[in-house]
Order: sequence, then structure tokens, then C-alpha cells
Amino acid sequence: MTKPKVASDWLCGCAGCHMSLLDIDERILQVVELVDLRATPITDLKEPDKDGVVVGILEGGIANTHNEHVAKKMRERCKILVALGDCAVFGGVPAMRNFFGEEAALKRAYIDAESNDSEGKIPSNPELAEMTRVRAVNEVVKVDLHIPGCPPHADVIFYALVELAEGRIPEIKNDMLHWH
Amino acid sequence: MIKLTIDGKTIEVQEGTTVLHAAEAAGLYIPTLCNHPQVTPYGGCRLCMVDVEGARTLQPSCTLPATDGMVVKTNTDKVINARKFVLTLIFSERNHFCMYCPVSDGDCELQNRAYDEDMTHWDLQPNWQPFEVDASHEFIILDNNRCILCRRCTRACGELVGNFTLGFEERGADSLLVADYNVPLGESTCISCGTCVQICPTGALIDRQSAYQGKETEVDHNIGVCVECSVGCQRNVLTRDNRLVRIEGEWDAELNHGLLCDKGRFLPLEDDRSRVLTPLVRKDGQLKAATWDQAMSAIASGLTQGNGLAALASTRLPAEDLALFKSIFADGLQAELVTSLEEGKTTATLASLADKIGKPFESRQDELKDTDVVLVLELDLVEEHQVPGFFIKRQIPEGIKLIVADGKDNRLAEKAKVRLHLKAGQEGSFLADLLKAIENGIEDNDLNQAAEILKAAEKPCIVYGKTLAENADEKTLTTLLEIAQTVNAALIGVKGEANSMAAAQLGLEAAFKSNGYQSAFILLGDDHPSQKLVKRLEEIPFVVAQAAYYSQLTGNADVVLPVTMWAEQSGSYLSLDGRLQTIGKALDAPDGVLTSTEALLKIAEILSVEPDTDWKTNLMKRVPTVQIEEA
Repeated sequence: MTKPKVASDWLCGCAGCHMSLLDIDERILQVVELVDLRATPITDLKEPDKDGVVVGILEGGIANTHNEHVAKKMRERCKILVALGDCAVFGGVPAMRNFFGEEAALKRAYIDAESNDSEGKIPSNPELAEMTRVRAVNEVVKVDLHIPGCPPHADVIFYALVELAEGRIPEIKNDMLHWH
Repeated sequence: MIKLTIDGKTIEVQEGTTVLHAAEAAGLYIPTLCNHPQVTPYGGCRLCMVDVEGARTLQPSCTLPATDGMVVKTNTDKVINARKFVLTLIFSERNHFCMYCPVSDGDCELQNRAYDEDMTHWDLQPNWQPFEVDASHEFIILDNNRCILCRRCTRACGELVGNFTLGFEERGADSLLVADYNVPLGESTCISCGTCVQICPTGALIDRQSAYQGKETEVDHNIGVCVECSVGCQRNVLTRDNRLVRIEGEWDAELNHGLLCDKGRFLPLEDDRSRVLTPLVRKDGQLKAATWDQAMSAIASGLTQGNGLAALASTRLPAEDLALFKSIFADGLQAELVTSLEEGKTTATLASLADKIGKPFESRQDELKDTDVVLVLELDLVEEHQVPGFFIKRQIPEGIKLIVADGKDNRLAEKAKVRLHLKAGQEGSFLADLLKAIENGIEDNDLNQAAEILKAAEKPCIVYGKTLAENADEKTLTTLLEIAQTVNAALIGVKGEANSMAAAQLGLEAAFKSNGYQSAFILLGDDHPSQKLVKRLEEIPFVVAQAAYYSQLTGNADVVLPVTMWAEQSGSYLSLDGRLQTIGKALDAPDGVLTSTEALLKIAEILSVEPDTDWKTNLMKRVPTVQIEEA
């Protein structure tokens, strides 16, 4: 039996969920025994396989048109889409800006912040992705499994990966369930 | 009695019982959010929906009275789906992002209920409507963004505390929790009792002191009596890593059932006085750090005995310490004066009247919870002894009549039906007139009106303050007793500090007069010394102070012994209405600091006194003004 292919990517997050994934430590060897780890931010391959993967994992919320594009591509190319961590599940810390609006957030970051000099200006370039309201992944594409947590605990990630590798949908509840 | 079936279980309950209570009585769990055992059911959150056979829709169990033959199901798919949907709606209404909330992961009832339903996410996205955070209050932060509109706080503020500060403005999704007519909480009529914070199921009302300092799962709980006044509320002192995190009212306490005032809840955490951490002995005019042994020998050589020795103890100390103190200084050292820092002012006349009558004449504070007329004499229950004040204030909308007699500004008087002027010092004639008004009527409309109200009352209470207790002679008190007997009223006197009544029982009630004392021993504990005391001690050549904190008093003393503060010691307290309660040690004392008991025993040893440690027998010897009951 071939090992199921797994790919991951990060959107508007802090990389903490991927760090938590790495916190499974030596158990990562068990994971690679069970799955074929493809494109991830921590491997060389940068895009999920064109002919598809079984499990696609997304960290981070959707904060701009580029995030949207990445999320849609992952959805198209995977059978089971996992939203990993509070940003992917709820929008998370970046979603705080939704209460103020994009314009106010940009102004605060690039002009008003104490660390800016007097020449601070909001970057604008046609090559830059367009900023949007921060959305949970399931607001943009269908999500099959939500693993909340900020970040989800390494044990939860390990449990989920093993279950997925063995063809089951993990049940995230009781001690596994933390929104932080 | 009626019979109903819940989840196949037949349950027999009193008519009028809600389905929720019936289920609870049968040991069945129905999740709730807006419901709280201490306030009237509201049916606002819809989390407790149940399936009732024959009913058109799901019904909220917290407000639904059980009926005979009712068949209820609490765990059908329909119910579970509704529950999840209700939670989703609540989450989507405001800013319920757990990762930046101080009550997340254990202390949030909303989050816990979602966990119970195995919710990994929300299907509805939040409404991104921001609300201003009100951080104007000294202790409390009001964040409408976290509010689930359950109205536990408004019900607690009104129904439990009788303050009616919190309320709601606007409707639906715009509903806004506000203080008074939407003024900043810090400028409102809020009295900082903190009940709203304690009852809030989410992070909408949090206290500044404990936010982010430790979650429920990370703190230790120490339930015990509050030592800030003589009411005797039960508190839950939360500590973490040997530090005070928060103080809560104990919901299960018989008297205060969760209520506390600002003095009991918030102010103890604001104490920023410097601790005495080592014994100090005066040498060449200077107070210098010393060992316990050096301090003891300084006491052995400097403290006189018998005539010329004055010993005073704070009534904030446990009864065990007060009794030990008395045994050492009165029986052992035969000191000329052995008394409390209160000098029995608020208790001596009352205690001697009890001695004379031979039985108690005062009542429990619980009488105030269900009364129809309250006469308050020289006491502002909004300012001091606040919790019994809550009992009175919260019944005012129910029509109880309040009569306030005082010569000073009295915030409770705003709510009074009759306001009488009672000038301090004229208690005797005032009460005599009131008695006359009750018996025959006199030429004073206000007094007559008060008398009529008292006479018509079914369960009247008379509460009197320190001023009356201090100024009244035996005759005045006899008149008061006669009034109480005539109108069949419960008498409640607030006395002084936490252990004022214990001091009275031990006979620590002599007045401290300048008398050319040679030496003095002050058992201060964590009390604040008055200016008057500091001044008087200046005349005494040798002063020993047992104190937790530096003060002018310790600065002037010749020997200072470092002792524990309230949270570092255990002991017993006799409330104003005779409930004997205990407080346990919640914190470890700093190294080198002893409890007052340990320090007293050291003194007894160095002065070769054999103290009597049977404090309880000594406490019970005297006829109390109110029946003593061990809690």
C-alpha cells in the first residue's frame, strides 16, 4: 500500500502551528513512516502535487488575495482539508484587525507605530496581494477537519496525523480540544 | 407533589419547581449559561433547551415549571443540535476570540460549554461590531465585546446587592451593558462589591488585580472568614505560588452566599505597606535588626510587670491569640491594663447588660434577609458592614420600609421611608421618645410615623452602629431593648472589628488612659495603628510591638517582633452575631516571621509564664449579647 501524501502550507499565521508540529520531536520519524510528506513550508517542495494529495493542512487565516489563492489551490488538490490552529479555525490573532478595519490597521502599522520614522508610508505596489478582512479558512473553502489551539499541542497534532495517515478522521475532543 | 419523567427517570418534585431544578435534583445535567443558582431564572441564553413531549418547540428548562405527567428529554439530536446552534449564535455575536481573553482555557463558562459539545469551530462568522472597553473603574474592567447578554450581572447587582447600578441599553445585537444611564463604571453609583465580576460567565467583567494572574486550575483555594469587619462573610482566597491572586465570596456560605464588599474583596490585595521581616531592637536610640533571641532578651529586661504595664491587642487577630494574650498579660504578668485596641468601646455596655440579664438579647443577621421594616440607628451600611446593608437594600423594591436615624450623612438614608435626626450623645432621650411614641404617641410627626411603621411591622429589625453602642449607657440600652420587645424586633449590633465580640467575651474592654505606664506591649498584627494610639504610646518609656507592617508605631517602639498578616495565619473569629468561624492559612509567611501565637508563646517562655491555651472555654465563659454558634 502506498503511503498517503500529505501537504501543508501557511497563510496569515505566525508559523507557531508548524513549530508545534515540529514539537512532536522524534515522533516525526513515525509520521514519515506512515505518510509521504510532500510540499510544506519546512520541506523543499513548495506547492502541493498537481495530481493531488490525500491530506492538505493549512495554518493561518485568510487575510489577503494571495492567502485566498493558496487556500483554494490546496482545497482543489487535497481530499481532506485540515484547518490547523486558531487562525485557520477562527481567524485568530490577525482577526483582531477586523474590529478596526484594514485601513486603520495599515495606518497603525506603517505610520502611527512608535517604531516608524516620520517618513512611514503604507506600501502600495500592484505586485502586492490585496489585503482583505481576516477570515477563517472555512469561510473561503470547505474544511473537513478543524484542529483549534494557539497552537494546537504537539500531541494533538501527532494524534491527528496518525489517525489521518491510517485513514480515519480524528475526533478532536476532551483533552484534545483547546481553543486557547 | 407532582411527578414528571426526565430522560426516562421518574422524578417527584414540589409544584412550581422548574424542569432544570427537577433534573438537577435527580442528578441529571443540563448545560446552562445565563442561569445562576443565586439569581432569578431568566431564560435568556436558550442553552438549557429541552424536548418536552407535546410541546411545539424546544423549551428552556430554567424557566419552565414542571407539570404533572410531563415527559422531558434532554439529550435528543434535536436538543444537542439546538445547543450547538445556540452556542454558535452566541460566539458569532461579538468578540469571543479565546486566544486573547484572560478567562480562556478553564475560567470561561461559554468556552467550557462549547468544549462540552465537542465544538471545534463555529459555522457562523463573527459580527465584527466593536464596543468600547470601559476601564474607568479602579478594580473592574467592563468589556461589552465579551458580553453574552446573559444579565447575570444586572440581576446580581439588583437582586443580591440592591445597588441597581448595572443595566442594559438598546436591544438585540446592540444591547449594551451600562452603569447607571451609561456613565463610565468608575464614575457610576457602583460600590465596587465585585459581585458582577464573580458572577460573569465570560470575560465581560474582569478584575484588574487577577486578570492573567492565574486560572482556576492553577490556583489554590482557601475558604475562610473575612477579617475586614465583624459581619463574618465567608471568602474564598485564591493563591498561586504563595501570592494572593483574587478573593471571591463563597457562594455556599450561609450568611453572605457569595457576596462581599470592596473591603473584603479588593482592598486586601491593594495593601502596599512594607513588611517587618526581622525583629528590631532599639540600640543607642536607633532601631536595629536583631535576632529573635536578642529581641527576647530585650523584652525580658525592658518589659515591666504588674502595675505600670499596659498590654493592648488588635481585634483583627484570631480569638486564639486574644485569649493567649490575655492569659499571658492579665493572669501571668498581672499587667495593670490588659485590653483591646478598641478598648471595648462598642461592646462593654452591651456585654455588661447581657451579664445583668443573664441571657443573649441580640439576633442573627439572617433576620435582615426577610424582614418588612428595618430601623437603622447611627450606622451607614453603605459605608461599613456593607453586606447586611445589601440584604436591606435589595428588599426595598419589594416594599420593605426603612427608617434611618442618624446625625451624620448617611448614604443608606437615601432609601429611607422615614429619616430621623439623632444627634450623637442624645441616644438616651431619642430612644426614650421613640418608646413613648410607640406606646402612646408624642408630639413629633416623624417619630410617630416611625413608631406606627414599627408597630405595624411583622418581622422588624433594629440595627445599630458603633456610635450608639459607644455612647449608650445601660439605661439607654435597656430602652432599646424595651423598644425591640414592644414591637417584637430582632436586635442586631454591628460592634467593631472582626473579633470585637471575641474581645468582649474575653473581657478585653478596659479604657486606655494615660496613666504613667512604664512599659507597653502592643499586639498589632496587621492592623493599622491609630494616630491616637501612636501619640499615647509616645509617653511610655518602653514599648514592644508585634506587627506585620512598618508604621509610625513600630518606628517609635523599642522592640518590634515581625508577625504574620491575616492570610499567613489561621484562627477563629466571632462575628457580630455570634457565629464562631475560622480562617485557614493561605500563604506561607516570609522566613523569620512568626505567627502572633508563636511570638506570644516565645514571650511567655522568656518571662516564665505558663499560659492557658484553652481559648474556647475562656471565650464561652461570659454571657454573650448574642448566642454563640460554631459554624
